[in-house]
Amino acid sequence: MGDLKVGAFYNPHLGEALAGASGIDHLAMADPPRGDDPWWPKIRERYTLLLHDYLGQLSEPLDEHAIQRARSLAELYKSPWVAEHFQCLHTENGTYNLNYVFPPLYTEEFLDRFAANASALQARLDQPLVMENIPGFFDVAASRLPEPVWLRRFFDRTNLGFLLDLPHIWLEAHYKGADPKVFLGEFPLERVVELHVAGVSEDRDLQGPWIAPTAPSDEMLDLMVHAVARCPNAKAVTFDAFSPTLSADVLFASVARIRKALRN
Amino acid sequence: MSDRAVQDALIRALADAPFRGSPAWRTRELANQERLERFARFLARHYYYERLAHFFKYSRALARVTGRPPEAVLTSPAFDALLPTLVLGSRASAVAVAGLAQEHVRGGATAAVPYLEDLLAYEHGMMVVESGARLWRDGSPDPADQQRSKPVRVEGTMLLDLQVDLPLVLPLLLRPWTEVPQAPRRPTRLLIARSRRGRVSVARTSSAIATLLELADGRKTMDDLAREAGLRPAELEATLDELVEIGAVRFSTGS
Repeated sequence: MGDLKVGAFYNPHLGEALAGASGIDHLAMADPPRGDDPWWPKIRERYTLLLHDYLGQLSEPLDEHAIQRARSLAELYKSPWVAEHFQCLHTENGTYNLNYVFPPLYTEEFLDRFAANASALQARLDQPLVMENIPGFFDVAASRLPEPVWLRRFFDRTNLGFLLDLPHIWLEAHYKGADPKVFLGEFPLERVVELHVAGVSEDRDLQGPWIAPTAPSDEMLDLMVHAVARCPNAKAVTFDAFSPTLSADVLFASVARIRKALRN
Repeated sequence: MSDRAVQDALIRALADAPFRGSPAWRTRELANQERLERFARFLARHYYYERLAHFFKYSRALARVTGRPPEAVLTSPAFDALLPTLVLGSRASAVAVAGLAQEHVRGGATAAVPYLEDLLAYEHGMMVVESGARLWRDGSPDPADQQRSKPVRVEGTMLLDLQVDLPLVLPLLLRPWTEVPQAPRRPTRLLIARSRRGRVSVARTSSAIATLLELADGRKTMDDLAREAGLRPAELEATLDELVEIGAVRFSTGS
Protein backbone atom coordinates (compact mmCIF):
# COMPACT_ATOMS: atom_id res chain seq x y z
CA MET A 1 0.00 0.00 0.00
CA GLY A 2 3.01 2.26 0.42
CA ASP A 3 3.31 2.90 -3.32
CA LEU A 4 -0.20 4.27 -3.66
CA LYS A 5 -0.50 7.98 -4.33
CA VAL A 6 -3.05 9.75 -2.13
CA GLY A 7 -4.77 12.90 -3.28
CA ALA A 8 -7.94 14.97 -3.40
CA PHE A 9 -9.99 17.09 -5.78
CA TYR A 10 -8.97 20.62 -6.62
CA ASN A 11 -11.50 22.93 -4.99
CA PRO A 12 -10.75 26.47 -6.22
CA HIS A 13 -12.05 28.11 -3.03
CA LEU A 14 -9.31 26.20 -1.18
CA GLY A 15 -6.67 27.15 -3.75
CA GLU A 16 -4.44 29.07 -1.35
CA ALA A 17 -4.41 26.26 1.23
CA LEU A 18 -3.81 23.60 -1.42
CA ALA A 19 -1.03 25.60 -3.06
CA GLY A 20 0.91 25.52 0.20
CA ALA A 21 -0.13 22.08 1.42
CA SER A 22 1.95 18.99 2.01
CA GLY A 23 0.91 15.35 2.14
CA ILE A 24 -1.19 15.47 -1.05
CA ASP A 25 0.27 13.71 -4.08
CA HIS A 26 -2.28 14.63 -6.73
CA LEU A 27 -5.38 16.67 -7.42
CA ALA A 28 -8.27 15.59 -9.62
CA MET A 29 -9.71 18.37 -11.77
CA ALA A 30 -13.52 18.35 -11.99
CA ASP A 31 -13.69 21.70 -13.79
CA PRO A 32 -11.22 23.56 -15.98
CA PRO A 33 -9.28 26.25 -14.09
CA ARG A 34 -10.96 29.64 -14.03
CA GLY A 35 -9.09 32.42 -15.77
CA ASP A 36 -9.17 34.54 -12.60
CA ASP A 37 -7.93 31.79 -10.23
CA PRO A 38 -4.72 33.25 -8.73
CA TRP A 39 -3.63 29.86 -7.36
CA TRP A 40 -3.90 27.87 -10.57
CA PRO A 41 -0.27 28.46 -11.76
CA LYS A 42 1.10 27.16 -8.44
CA ILE A 43 -1.31 24.25 -8.35
CA ARG A 44 -0.37 23.23 -11.88
CA GLU A 45 3.34 23.49 -11.12
CA ARG A 46 3.15 21.63 -7.84
CA TYR A 47 0.77 18.72 -8.34
CA THR A 48 0.15 15.75 -10.56
CA LEU A 49 -3.28 16.58 -12.01
CA LEU A 50 -5.92 14.04 -13.02
CA LEU A 51 -8.50 14.93 -15.65
CA HIS A 52 -11.88 14.16 -14.10
CA ASP A 53 -14.17 16.56 -15.95
CA TYR A 54 -17.48 15.86 -17.66
CA LEU A 55 -16.34 14.94 -21.15
CA GLY A 56 -19.66 13.60 -22.38
CA GLN A 57 -21.92 10.61 -21.90
CA LEU A 58 -20.61 7.56 -23.69
CA SER A 59 -24.00 6.12 -24.48
CA GLU A 60 -23.46 8.21 -27.60
CA PRO A 61 -20.23 8.83 -29.51
CA LEU A 62 -18.44 11.99 -28.41
CA ASP A 63 -18.37 14.62 -31.13
CA GLU A 64 -15.20 16.29 -32.34
CA HIS A 65 -15.73 19.31 -30.09
CA ALA A 66 -15.86 17.09 -26.98
CA ILE A 67 -12.86 15.01 -28.08
CA GLN A 68 -10.74 18.09 -28.73
CA ARG A 69 -11.76 19.50 -25.36
CA ALA A 70 -10.75 16.25 -23.62
CA ARG A 71 -7.43 16.20 -25.46
CA SER A 72 -6.60 19.79 -24.63
CA LEU A 73 -7.50 19.40 -20.93
CA ALA A 74 -5.45 16.20 -20.67
CA GLU A 75 -2.51 18.03 -22.22
CA LEU A 76 -2.97 21.08 -19.99
CA TYR A 77 -2.96 18.90 -16.86
CA LYS A 78 -0.36 16.40 -18.15
CA SER A 79 -2.82 13.91 -16.73
CA PRO A 80 -1.50 10.33 -16.39
CA TRP A 81 -4.99 9.03 -17.19
CA VAL A 82 -8.36 10.43 -18.19
CA ALA A 83 -11.57 9.58 -16.33
CA GLU A 84 -15.18 9.36 -17.45
CA HIS A 85 -18.28 7.81 -15.87
CA PHE A 86 -20.74 5.07 -16.69
CA GLN A 87 -23.53 7.58 -16.92
CA CYS A 88 -26.47 8.46 -19.10
CA LEU A 89 -28.02 11.60 -17.68
CA HIS A 90 -29.59 13.44 -20.60
CA THR A 91 -32.01 12.30 -23.24
CA GLU A 92 -30.71 11.65 -26.70
CA ASN A 93 -32.44 14.76 -28.07
CA GLY A 94 -31.17 16.98 -25.24
CA THR A 95 -34.62 17.95 -23.96
CA TYR A 96 -34.22 16.48 -20.48
CA ASN A 97 -31.06 16.66 -18.41
CA LEU A 98 -30.59 15.51 -14.82
CA ASN A 99 -27.34 17.42 -14.32
CA TYR A 100 -26.22 14.65 -11.99
CA VAL A 101 -24.53 11.31 -12.50
CA PHE A 102 -27.06 8.62 -13.35
CA PRO A 103 -26.31 5.07 -14.52
CA PRO A 104 -27.42 3.55 -17.82
CA LEU A 105 -29.62 0.48 -18.03
CA TYR A 106 -27.36 -2.53 -17.66
CA THR A 107 -28.32 -4.22 -20.91
CA GLU A 108 -26.62 -5.65 -23.99
CA GLU A 109 -27.55 -2.57 -26.00
CA PHE A 110 -25.93 -0.19 -23.54
CA LEU A 111 -22.92 -2.49 -23.21
CA ASP A 112 -22.43 -2.27 -26.97
CA ARG A 113 -22.88 1.48 -26.91
CA PHE A 114 -20.47 2.15 -24.04
CA ALA A 115 -17.85 -0.32 -25.29
CA ALA A 116 -17.86 1.17 -28.79
CA ASN A 117 -17.91 4.80 -27.72
CA ALA A 118 -15.36 4.46 -24.92
CA SER A 119 -13.01 2.57 -27.27
CA ALA A 120 -13.45 5.31 -29.87
CA LEU A 121 -12.60 7.95 -27.27
CA GLN A 122 -9.59 5.95 -26.09
CA ALA A 123 -8.32 5.81 -29.66
CA ARG A 124 -8.28 9.61 -29.77
CA LEU A 125 -6.57 10.14 -26.41
CA ASP A 126 -2.85 10.01 -25.68
CA GLN A 127 -3.52 8.80 -22.11
CA PRO A 128 -5.30 5.69 -20.78
CA LEU A 129 -9.03 6.11 -20.24
CA VAL A 130 -10.50 4.91 -16.94
CA MET A 131 -14.22 4.54 -16.27
CA GLU A 132 -16.00 5.18 -12.96
CA ASN A 133 -18.98 3.24 -11.57
CA ILE A 134 -22.14 5.19 -10.74
CA PRO A 135 -24.62 4.25 -8.01
CA GLY A 136 -28.29 3.54 -8.56
CA PHE A 137 -30.78 4.54 -5.89
CA PHE A 138 -33.52 2.26 -7.23
CA ASP A 139 -33.72 -0.82 -9.42
CA VAL A 140 -35.03 -0.49 -12.96
CA ALA A 141 -37.02 -3.36 -14.36
CA ALA A 142 -35.49 -2.93 -17.81
CA SER A 143 -31.93 -3.50 -16.53
CA ARG A 144 -31.12 -7.07 -17.53
CA LEU A 145 -27.63 -7.69 -16.14
CA PRO A 146 -26.23 -7.22 -12.64
CA GLU A 147 -24.00 -4.14 -12.59
CA PRO A 148 -20.79 -6.05 -11.68
CA VAL A 149 -21.34 -8.47 -14.56
CA TRP A 150 -21.99 -5.62 -16.99
CA LEU A 151 -18.85 -3.81 -15.83
CA ARG A 152 -16.71 -6.93 -16.07
CA ARG A 153 -17.87 -7.55 -19.63
CA PHE A 154 -17.22 -3.89 -20.50
CA PHE A 155 -13.65 -4.00 -19.20
CA ASP A 156 -12.96 -7.39 -20.81
CA ARG A 157 -14.12 -6.04 -24.13
CA THR A 158 -12.34 -2.67 -23.99
CA ASN A 159 -9.30 -3.35 -21.81
CA LEU A 160 -9.79 0.07 -20.20
CA GLY A 161 -9.01 0.89 -16.57
CA PHE A 162 -11.53 0.97 -13.73
CA LEU A 163 -11.95 3.97 -11.45
CA LEU A 164 -13.58 2.31 -8.45
CA ASP A 165 -15.77 4.68 -6.50
CA LEU A 166 -16.09 3.03 -3.09
CA PRO A 167 -18.86 5.22 -1.64
CA HIS A 168 -20.93 4.32 -4.70
CA ILE A 169 -20.44 0.63 -3.92
CA TRP A 170 -21.16 1.24 -0.23
CA LEU A 171 -24.39 3.12 -1.02
CA GLU A 172 -25.65 0.48 -3.43
CA ALA A 173 -24.93 -2.23 -0.88
CA HIS A 174 -26.69 -0.17 1.79
CA TYR A 175 -29.84 0.27 -0.28
CA LYS A 176 -29.80 -3.40 -1.35
CA GLY A 177 -29.32 -4.48 2.24
CA ALA A 178 -26.09 -6.25 1.24
CA ASP A 179 -22.67 -6.50 2.90
CA PRO A 180 -20.46 -3.90 1.11
CA LYS A 181 -17.39 -6.16 1.18
CA VAL A 182 -19.27 -9.07 -0.32
CA PHE A 183 -20.85 -6.83 -2.97
CA LEU A 184 -17.45 -5.27 -3.74
CA GLY A 185 -16.04 -8.73 -4.39
CA GLU A 186 -18.31 -9.11 -7.41
CA PHE A 187 -16.61 -6.22 -9.27
CA PRO A 188 -13.57 -6.62 -11.58
CA LEU A 189 -11.07 -5.33 -9.04
CA GLU A 190 -8.04 -6.42 -11.06
CA ARG A 191 -8.91 -3.61 -13.49
CA VAL A 192 -8.81 -0.85 -10.86
CA VAL A 193 -6.35 1.98 -11.49
CA GLU A 194 -7.72 4.56 -9.05
CA LEU A 195 -10.07 4.47 -6.06
CA HIS A 196 -12.36 7.22 -4.81
CA VAL A 197 -13.11 7.51 -1.11
CA ALA A 198 -15.54 9.99 0.45
CA GLY A 199 -18.00 10.59 3.23
CA VAL A 200 -21.76 10.14 3.20
CA SER A 201 -24.46 11.95 5.11
CA GLU A 202 -28.20 11.70 5.58
CA ASP A 203 -30.24 13.30 2.81
CA ARG A 204 -33.76 14.47 3.59
CA ASP A 205 -35.19 13.68 0.16
CA LEU A 206 -33.63 10.23 -0.10
CA GLN A 207 -34.40 9.51 3.56
CA GLY A 208 -31.06 7.80 3.78
CA PRO A 209 -27.34 8.33 3.21
CA TRP A 210 -25.80 9.78 0.08
CA ILE A 211 -22.46 11.16 -1.03
CA ALA A 212 -21.54 14.39 0.74
CA PRO A 213 -18.51 16.65 1.12
CA THR A 214 -17.72 15.20 4.51
CA ALA A 215 -14.93 13.07 5.94
CA PRO A 216 -15.02 9.31 5.28
CA SER A 217 -16.26 7.24 8.19
CA ASP A 218 -14.18 4.53 9.85
CA GLU A 219 -16.38 1.99 8.07
CA MET A 220 -15.60 3.56 4.69
CA LEU A 221 -11.87 3.58 5.46
CA ASP A 222 -12.07 -0.06 6.47
CA LEU A 223 -13.78 -0.83 3.14
CA MET A 224 -11.01 1.09 1.39
CA VAL A 225 -8.28 -0.97 3.06
CA HIS A 226 -10.19 -4.13 2.18
CA ALA A 227 -10.55 -2.98 -1.44
CA VAL A 228 -6.96 -1.82 -1.92
CA ALA A 229 -5.70 -5.23 -0.84
CA ARG A 230 -7.74 -6.70 -3.72
CA CYS A 231 -6.78 -4.15 -6.39
CA PRO A 232 -3.25 -5.21 -7.41
CA ASN A 233 -2.98 -2.60 -10.17
CA ALA A 234 -4.26 0.41 -8.21
CA LYS A 235 -2.03 3.47 -8.43
CA ALA A 236 -3.93 6.15 -6.54
CA VAL A 237 -6.58 6.83 -3.93
CA THR A 238 -8.45 10.13 -4.15
CA PHE A 239 -10.60 11.83 -1.51
CA ASP A 240 -13.64 12.52 -3.67
CA ALA A 241 -15.13 15.80 -2.46
CA PHE A 242 -15.72 18.76 -4.75
CA SER A 243 -18.04 21.40 -3.35
CA PRO A 244 -18.01 25.07 -2.36
CA THR A 245 -19.11 23.93 1.10
CA LEU A 246 -16.05 21.71 1.62
CA SER A 247 -13.72 23.14 4.27
CA ALA A 248 -9.94 22.95 4.20
CA ASP A 249 -10.00 21.18 7.57
CA VAL A 250 -12.20 18.37 6.25
CA LEU A 251 -10.12 17.99 3.09
CA PHE A 252 -6.74 17.83 4.83
CA ALA A 253 -7.99 15.69 7.73
CA SER A 254 -9.62 13.24 5.29
CA VAL A 255 -6.47 12.86 3.22
CA ALA A 256 -4.44 12.35 6.41
CA ARG A 257 -6.89 9.68 7.63
CA ILE A 258 -6.73 7.89 4.28
CA ARG A 259 -2.94 7.89 4.46
CA LYS A 260 -2.98 6.60 8.01
CA ALA A 261 -5.44 3.83 7.17
CA LEU A 262 -3.24 2.80 4.22
CA ARG A 263 -0.09 3.11 6.36
CA ASN A 264 1.16 5.29 3.55
CA MET B 1 -38.69 0.17 -28.10
CA SER B 2 -34.89 0.37 -27.79
CA ASP B 3 -33.16 0.38 -24.42
CA ARG B 4 -32.02 3.92 -25.22
CA ALA B 5 -35.65 4.97 -25.56
CA VAL B 6 -36.45 3.32 -22.23
CA GLN B 7 -33.56 5.20 -20.63
CA ASP B 8 -34.92 8.44 -22.12
CA ALA B 9 -38.30 7.74 -20.54
CA LEU B 10 -36.61 7.12 -17.21
CA ILE B 11 -34.63 10.35 -17.46
CA ARG B 12 -37.78 12.23 -18.37
CA ALA B 13 -39.63 10.74 -15.40
CA LEU B 14 -36.89 11.95 -13.08
CA ALA B 15 -36.76 15.41 -14.64
CA ASP B 16 -40.43 16.09 -15.34
CA ALA B 17 -42.70 15.94 -12.28
CA PRO B 18 -46.05 16.14 -14.14
CA PHE B 19 -44.96 13.31 -16.46
CA ARG B 20 -43.84 11.31 -13.43
CA GLY B 21 -47.32 11.54 -12.01
CA SER B 22 -49.12 10.70 -15.25
CA PRO B 23 -50.71 7.34 -16.13
CA ALA B 24 -48.46 7.26 -19.22
CA TRP B 25 -45.48 6.82 -16.92
CA ARG B 26 -47.02 4.97 -13.99
CA THR B 27 -48.48 2.18 -16.09
CA ARG B 28 -45.02 1.30 -17.39
CA GLU B 29 -43.99 0.13 -13.91
CA LEU B 30 -40.30 0.50 -14.72
CA ALA B 31 -39.26 1.34 -11.18
CA ASN B 32 -40.57 1.61 -7.66
CA GLN B 33 -42.52 4.87 -7.86
CA GLU B 34 -41.92 5.92 -4.28
CA ARG B 35 -38.15 5.52 -4.53
CA LEU B 36 -38.10 7.19 -7.94
CA GLU B 37 -40.02 10.14 -6.47
CA ARG B 38 -37.51 10.50 -3.64
CA PHE B 39 -34.61 10.46 -6.06
CA ALA B 40 -36.35 12.94 -8.37
CA ARG B 41 -36.82 15.38 -5.48
CA PHE B 42 -33.17 14.98 -4.55
CA LEU B 43 -32.21 15.72 -8.16
CA ALA B 44 -34.46 18.79 -8.32
CA ARG B 45 -32.92 20.30 -5.21
CA HIS B 46 -29.45 19.58 -6.55
CA TYR B 47 -30.28 20.94 -10.00
CA TYR B 48 -31.52 24.28 -8.70
CA TYR B 49 -28.83 24.52 -6.03
CA GLU B 50 -26.23 24.48 -8.79
CA ARG B 51 -28.08 27.15 -10.73
CA LEU B 52 -28.74 29.45 -7.78
CA ALA B 53 -25.14 29.06 -6.63
CA HIS B 54 -23.95 30.10 -10.07
CA PHE B 55 -26.43 32.70 -11.27
CA PHE B 56 -27.20 34.29 -7.89
CA LYS B 57 -23.59 34.35 -6.72
CA TYR B 58 -23.62 38.15 -6.33
CA SER B 59 -26.64 38.03 -4.03
CA ARG B 60 -24.83 35.23 -2.23
CA ALA B 61 -21.82 37.51 -1.75
CA LEU B 62 -24.15 40.16 -0.31
CA ALA B 63 -25.78 37.70 2.11
CA ARG B 64 -23.59 38.81 5.01
CA VAL B 65 -25.32 42.19 4.67
CA THR B 66 -28.80 41.09 3.60
CA GLY B 67 -28.87 37.96 5.75
CA ARG B 68 -30.51 36.14 2.84
CA PRO B 69 -28.41 33.56 0.97
CA PRO B 70 -30.48 32.83 -2.18
CA GLU B 71 -30.02 29.06 -2.04
CA ALA B 72 -31.82 28.95 1.32
CA VAL B 73 -35.12 28.92 -0.63
CA LEU B 74 -34.38 25.33 -1.63
CA THR B 75 -35.23 24.09 1.84
CA SER B 76 -38.31 26.30 2.15
CA PRO B 77 -41.96 25.15 2.07
CA ALA B 78 -42.39 27.35 -1.01
CA PHE B 79 -39.87 25.26 -2.95
CA ASP B 80 -41.40 22.03 -1.66
CA ALA B 81 -44.72 23.28 -3.00
CA LEU B 82 -43.16 23.75 -6.45
CA LEU B 83 -41.72 20.23 -6.61
CA PRO B 84 -44.82 18.56 -8.13
CA THR B 85 -44.72 21.08 -10.99
CA LEU B 86 -41.01 21.28 -11.79
CA VAL B 87 -39.53 20.21 -15.10
CA LEU B 88 -35.76 20.43 -14.76
CA GLY B 89 -34.37 22.75 -17.40
CA SER B 90 -37.69 24.23 -18.49
CA ARG B 91 -38.13 27.96 -18.73
CA ALA B 92 -41.26 27.97 -16.59
CA SER B 93 -39.47 26.16 -13.78
CA ALA B 94 -36.46 28.47 -14.02
CA VAL B 95 -38.79 31.47 -13.76
CA ALA B 96 -40.52 29.97 -10.73
CA VAL B 97 -37.35 29.04 -8.82
CA ALA B 98 -35.50 32.26 -9.70
CA GLY B 99 -38.60 34.16 -8.57
CA LEU B 100 -38.51 32.44 -5.20
CA ALA B 101 -34.86 33.40 -4.79
CA GLN B 102 -35.64 37.01 -5.72
CA GLU B 103 -38.41 37.24 -3.15
CA HIS B 104 -36.26 35.66 -0.50
CA VAL B 105 -33.38 38.11 -1.00
CA ARG B 106 -35.76 41.10 -1.18
CA GLY B 107 -37.03 40.21 2.28
CA GLY B 108 -33.62 40.80 3.86
CA ALA B 109 -31.75 43.89 5.06
CA THR B 110 -31.35 45.58 1.69
CA ALA B 111 -30.83 49.26 2.58
CA ALA B 112 -27.10 49.13 1.87
CA VAL B 113 -27.73 47.77 -1.64
CA PRO B 114 -29.71 50.48 -3.48
CA TYR B 115 -29.24 48.63 -6.79
CA LEU B 116 -30.65 45.38 -5.46
CA GLU B 117 -33.62 45.33 -7.83
CA ASP B 118 -31.32 45.68 -10.84
CA LEU B 119 -29.07 42.95 -9.46
CA LEU B 120 -31.96 40.57 -8.89
CA ALA B 121 -33.37 41.26 -12.35
CA TYR B 122 -29.95 40.46 -13.82
CA GLU B 123 -29.53 37.23 -11.85
CA HIS B 124 -33.10 36.15 -12.61
CA GLY B 125 -32.53 36.92 -16.31
CA MET B 126 -29.31 34.90 -16.45
CA MET B 127 -30.96 31.87 -14.88
CA VAL B 128 -34.00 32.04 -17.13
CA VAL B 129 -32.00 32.52 -20.34
CA GLU B 130 -29.86 29.49 -19.44
CA SER B 131 -32.91 27.23 -19.31
CA GLY B 132 -34.22 25.19 -22.22
CA ALA B 133 -33.06 22.21 -24.25
CA ARG B 134 -29.47 22.36 -25.36
CA LEU B 135 -27.32 20.81 -28.02
CA TRP B 136 -25.13 18.07 -26.51
CA ARG B 137 -23.47 16.86 -29.68
CA ASP B 138 -22.66 18.28 -33.07
CA GLY B 139 -25.21 17.01 -35.51
CA SER B 140 -25.88 17.88 -39.08
CA PRO B 141 -25.61 21.62 -39.56
CA ASP B 142 -28.93 23.33 -39.02
CA PRO B 143 -30.16 24.32 -42.48
CA ALA B 144 -31.44 27.50 -40.91
CA ASP B 145 -27.87 28.42 -40.02
CA GLN B 146 -26.47 27.69 -43.43
CA GLN B 147 -28.56 30.04 -45.48
CA ARG B 148 -27.79 33.58 -44.36
CA SER B 149 -30.93 35.21 -45.55
CA LYS B 150 -33.35 36.37 -42.86
CA PRO B 151 -32.08 36.82 -39.30
CA VAL B 152 -34.39 35.90 -36.46
CA ARG B 153 -33.98 36.65 -32.77
CA VAL B 154 -33.57 33.37 -30.86
CA GLU B 155 -36.40 32.66 -28.43
CA GLY B 156 -35.34 33.44 -24.88
CA THR B 157 -32.80 36.11 -25.78
CA MET B 158 -33.29 38.93 -23.30
CA LEU B 159 -32.74 42.67 -23.32
CA LEU B 160 -32.45 44.01 -19.81
CA ASP B 161 -32.77 47.71 -18.96
CA LEU B 162 -31.08 48.70 -15.71
CA GLN B 163 -30.90 51.94 -13.73
CA VAL B 164 -27.25 51.42 -12.76
CA ASP B 165 -24.08 50.30 -14.51
CA LEU B 166 -24.24 46.84 -12.97
CA PRO B 167 -21.31 45.24 -14.89
CA LEU B 168 -18.95 47.63 -13.13
CA VAL B 169 -19.89 46.46 -9.64
CA LEU B 170 -20.29 42.71 -10.22
CA PRO B 171 -16.59 41.73 -10.04
CA LEU B 172 -16.16 43.92 -6.95
CA LEU B 173 -18.85 41.97 -5.12
CA LEU B 174 -16.86 38.76 -5.49
CA ARG B 175 -13.68 40.27 -4.04
CA PRO B 176 -13.09 40.95 -0.34
CA TRP B 177 -14.97 44.10 0.79
CA THR B 178 -15.90 45.79 4.05
CA GLU B 179 -18.44 48.29 2.71
CA VAL B 180 -20.89 47.20 0.05
CA PRO B 181 -19.47 48.20 -3.36
CA GLN B 182 -21.77 50.68 -5.11
CA ALA B 183 -22.78 50.88 -8.74
CA PRO B 184 -22.74 54.17 -10.69
CA ARG B 185 -26.25 55.35 -11.49
CA ARG B 186 -26.35 55.26 -15.29
CA PRO B 187 -28.98 53.69 -17.56
CA THR B 188 -27.52 50.47 -18.92
CA ARG B 189 -28.95 48.01 -21.39
CA LEU B 190 -27.65 44.44 -21.42
CA LEU B 191 -28.19 41.61 -23.85
CA ILE B 192 -28.35 38.10 -22.37
CA ALA B 193 -28.24 35.17 -24.78
CA ARG B 194 -27.47 31.48 -24.79
CA SER B 195 -25.61 29.45 -27.36
CA ARG B 196 -27.03 26.16 -28.63
CA ARG B 197 -24.54 24.39 -26.36
CA GLY B 198 -25.94 26.22 -23.33
CA ARG B 199 -23.27 28.88 -22.77
CA VAL B 200 -24.81 32.11 -21.43
CA SER B 201 -23.28 35.39 -22.59
CA VAL B 202 -23.90 38.96 -21.47
CA ALA B 203 -23.00 42.04 -23.46
CA ARG B 204 -23.61 45.76 -23.19
CA THR B 205 -25.93 46.71 -25.96
CA SER B 206 -26.13 49.78 -28.13
CA SER B 207 -29.46 51.11 -29.30
CA ALA B 208 -28.61 49.91 -32.82
CA ILE B 209 -28.21 46.32 -31.61
CA ALA B 210 -31.38 46.56 -29.55
CA THR B 211 -33.24 47.83 -32.60
CA LEU B 212 -31.76 45.07 -34.71
CA LEU B 213 -32.93 42.44 -32.22
CA GLU B 214 -36.42 43.91 -32.15
CA LEU B 215 -36.57 43.89 -35.94
CA ALA B 216 -35.09 40.41 -36.47
CA ASP B 217 -38.33 38.49 -36.84
CA GLY B 218 -37.31 36.05 -39.57
CA ARG B 219 -39.29 37.92 -42.21
CA LYS B 220 -37.12 40.97 -42.84
CA THR B 221 -34.21 40.64 -45.23
CA MET B 222 -30.68 41.88 -44.56
CA ASP B 223 -31.43 44.94 -46.68
CA ASP B 224 -34.57 45.66 -44.65
CA LEU B 225 -32.63 45.39 -41.40
CA ALA B 226 -29.74 47.56 -42.56
CA ARG B 227 -32.16 50.26 -43.63
CA GLU B 228 -34.42 50.16 -40.57
CA ALA B 229 -31.60 49.84 -38.00
CA GLY B 230 -29.53 52.52 -39.73
CA LEU B 231 -26.51 50.26 -40.19
CA ARG B 232 -24.17 50.00 -43.16
CA PRO B 233 -24.10 46.49 -44.72
CA ALA B 234 -20.62 45.76 -43.37
CA GLU B 235 -21.64 46.89 -39.87
CA LEU B 236 -24.76 44.77 -40.07
CA GLU B 237 -22.77 41.69 -41.13
CA ALA B 238 -20.25 42.14 -38.31
CA THR B 239 -22.96 42.75 -35.72
CA LEU B 240 -24.95 39.75 -36.84
CA ASP B 241 -21.84 37.55 -36.72
CA GLU B 242 -21.38 38.50 -33.07
CA LEU B 243 -25.04 37.96 -32.26
CA VAL B 244 -25.01 34.55 -33.94
CA GLU B 245 -21.85 33.62 -32.04
CA ILE B 246 -23.45 34.25 -28.64
CA GLY B 247 -26.74 32.66 -29.69
CA ALA B 248 -28.92 35.78 -29.81
CA VAL B 249 -29.73 35.46 -33.52
CA ARG B 250 -29.99 32.66 -36.03
CA PHE B 251 -30.80 32.69 -39.70
CA SER B 252 -34.17 31.62 -40.93
CA THR B 253 -34.72 30.08 -44.34
CA GLY B 254 -37.59 32.48 -44.71
CA SER B 255 -39.89 29.76 -45.90
